[in-house]
Amino acid sequence: MLIRDCMKQNVRSVPDTATIRQAAALFVKYHIGMLPVLSSAGGLVGVVGLRDLLTLELPDFFELLPELDFVHDFGAVETTRPTPQQLDQPVVTKMHPATFVLETDGLLKAYALMLKHRLHDLPVVSSSGQLVGVASRVDIGTAILAEWQSVGGESA
Amino acid sequence: MIAGWLAALIFLVSLWLILSEKLNRTITSMIGAAAIAALGLILSFYSEEEALAAIDFNTIGLLLGMMTLVAMLEPTGFIEFLAVWAGRVSRGHPVRLLVMLGTVTTVFSMFLDNVTTVVLIAPVTILICEILGINPIPYLMAEALLSDTGGVATLVGDPPNVLIASAAGFSFNDFLTHSLPVVLVAWLTALGLLRFLFRKELALKPPNTDAVMKLSPLEALDDWRTARRILIVLALAVLAFFFEEPLHVSPAFIAMTAAAVALVWVRPNIQDTLRRIDWSVLVFFGGLFVMVGGLEAAGVLDLLVDGLERLDSIPPVWLGVIMIWLVAGLSAFVDNVPITIALIPVLEGLGASGMNIEPLWWALVFGAGFGGNGTIIGSTANIVVASLSERTRTPITSALWNKRGLPVMLATCTVASILYALFYPLFE
Repeated sequence: MLIRDCMKQNVRSVPDTATIRQAAALFVKYHIGMLPVLSSAGGLVGVVGLRDLLTLELPDFFELLPELDFVHDFGAVETTRPTPQQLDQPVVTKMHPATFVLETDGLLKAYALMLKHRLHDLPVVSSSGQLVGVASRVDIGTAILAEWQSVGGESA
Repeated sequence: MIAGWLAALIFLVSLWLILSEKLNRTITSMIGAAAIAALGLILSFYSEEEALAAIDFNTIGLLLGMMTLVAMLEPTGFIEFLAVWAGRVSRGHPVRLLVMLGTVTTVFSMFLDNVTTVVLIAPVTILICEILGINPIPYLMAEALLSDTGGVATLVGDPPNVLIASAAGFSFNDFLTHSLPVVLVAWLTALGLLRFLFRKELALKPPNTDAVMKLSPLEALDDWRTARRILIVLALAVLAFFFEEPLHVSPAFIAMTAAAVALVWVRPNIQDTLRRIDWSVLVFFGGLFVMVGGLEAAGVLDLLVDGLERLDSIPPVWLGVIMIWLVAGLSAFVDNVPITIALIPVLEGLGASGMNIEPLWWALVFGAGFGGNGTIIGSTANIVVASLSERTRTPITSALWNKRGLPVMLATCTVASILYALFYPLFE
């Protein structure tokens, strides 16, 4: 089975000219975790994840703390909101380079990439570089498990 | 003569590479040491044995021993525990928080590495400020500035002190009687000045003080058993430092023994512990020692000292005060370790020519120590808090440092100069 057989073809994406506010609205509307960022020609220029946008509310210094057990109440952190200026920044300022697979790649290669880069969604591109789909960890994982059904049992 | 010029050229090029950050300082010190040692072999003024003997193992041993103790204390969460505790005790009151966090940072950096202290305390500081809904900048800057200032107080507080103590033969107690009193006054001045410079930020009443009261310091402390053992060993080591003279042992011996005892008592994963030690600093020191040893062997320092003989005409008190400001000015822009290592042989040369250099050593201690406060790149602690602040909503900029950090440097150097001049006979 190839990645193109399990990916979602109905892909939501955001143009590279959009603002953070516009991208955030798409995340909310479609309830997704990752948005591919496309150039006007439709090429994949990068991806922006929920986490990338959420650093505006929860700065990533949290990662420097060895643990958080001792914090029982996040206080003002809970109510801090980004400023209008921050939300009107272009979304490309929060974008990072995309880790992607080709539509003809195998499932295990895709799964290995996800583990390696700790991703939950992987863009799939055609040989010409056009975005053709997105595969989530669940899409890929269940597609792999589905093939187990054809493995014959001892008793069979 | 040609040997002297070539050795000086190698040293100056290395110094330029380090100061301009064209090449990593540790790599530079290794290639510079290799170049001077090779030159010494070819022109036969510096043998391999002499090059090895030039490495001051008292300095390296003391640093390695203390670094090992810190490396073991780091994962226990003890320092985070104190920072969280300081946050709670302050009850979210900005000025109290500044004093508490500043004091905890200072006390640690008097005995432990400034950078490790700041690296562990700063993230907790940002967290407390985020919870309170206040700007962390005053607290982060205060921690860097006060840890640099506090580090000047003791022999083990700061690498330049270790170097100077080893060269000048100063004991741990010499620092307590000469440096600590000056640092106390300078520290209080720095704190008062920070209180004034950040008066606007500190006057804001945090919107969310209840949340800070729900912080639980004990839950930040992961391994009290280990922390307690290391603190006991550390306390015994400091006690041994007090008695280093009657015991006839070097600080390096005490620090290495303490590290060994702590390792046996705690038996940590040794690979983990060794990985936490900043070996690049030790290699950097080793390389610089070999380079300066080569300069000495090539006769460069004699030339330099001949040139400096006119200094005799300047009144000694003024010479010391000039030294404080000159070294501080340099240390504000570049690492104070290469400056100290380069100046040590110059002072030794002046001493050999008959000048009383004891007061100049103390001037070097104050200049190198307080100078680092001047700019955002003046000390490693400054660089660390600035880069940590980039992960918050309000990064510390170089311009801000010049407005709030530079006055602290000028004030501490002024305090040091006044006390130095007033009590000059005590420094002789």
